[in-house]
Amino acid sequence: MAGGGGGGDGEPEFQIAPMIDVLLVLLVFFVMITSAEVLKVDKKLTLPVSPNAKERDKDMAKHEFAVNLRWDKDTNKGVLVIDDDIKQNWDDVLPFLQEKKKADKKLRVVVRADGNVPAGEIQRIMNFIGMAGIDDISFAASNK
Amino acid sequence: MKKRSHKRKQSSEVNLGFQIAPMIDVVFVILLYFMVMAGDIQIENAHNTKLPGTTESTDQPVNLPDEIAIRIEDDGQVYLNDDPLDSPENAKLPELAGSLNQLRESSDASKSTVLVTIYANELAKYQRVIEVLDALTRAKISNVTFQAGSPD
Repeated sequence: MAGGGGGGDGEPEFQIAPMIDVLLVLLVFFVMITSAEVLKVDKKLTLPVSPNAKERDKDMAKHEFAVNLRWDKDTNKGVLVIDDDIKQNWDDVLPFLQEKKKADKKLRVVVRADGNVPAGEIQRIMNFIGMAGIDDISFAASNK
Repeated sequence: MKKRSHKRKQSSEVNLGFQIAPMIDVVFVILLYFMVMAGDIQIENAHNTKLPGTTESTDQPVNLPDEIAIRIEDDGQVYLNDDPLDSPENAKLPELAGSLNQLRESSDASKSTVLVTIYANELAKYQRVIEVLDALTRAKISNVTFQAGSPD
């Protein structure tokens, strides 16, 4: 290689170009795995832990719609957040979900609820989802 | 003579060449950052299910599944068909997963399916419901429905 200079029996020279190649590949790898898998977290929400939950189906990604349920410590109730908008009246969600279902027949609702939310609140939101005619539902959980 | 060397120094200062060493330093730091971050990432997974009463009906005769009820009390105690299993503090629910696995195997042997209904009390924590779903996943049972309140 040009610039090798060593030649013959000389000591093997440290090559900077392949090292940079390897470094960049490693860098791209780690950037990919950290940015692709990091949660689109609602910071006020701690997902329940479930190590055996299945990986999200990538084919269904465009049909998924997230419903966030934060936990209000003072009232021990759920706070419904859809598209960063806190829904005071849960009844408003029904026409909204019906519209969504009409627009996308394969719609899947992802319930992203805080682990401390009482199960009764989950049941409440599931009732709305069912009333909107949506049968495909998934419960989001963190791997750790 | 002195003047000329001064001039040469100035011209070398102006000509900023590409420096490989600082670039490698920076790349190393970025690499280290992402390597450390990679160990700590949380992945969002999901338990998929179908809501009851919304599936399309067929004219085909349907084999009724073996129904199993799992009850979750407010304190987190889990009951499988009224038998208490595991302590409320045990997040991994090994007894529940083991019993469910046996039930699933016996159902498979008799060529029927298992249908699990989860009755979670109003004030039971959602985390506990997910732990039960996790145990069901380990037992390879995917036919799960939900019901509010107690089975009675």
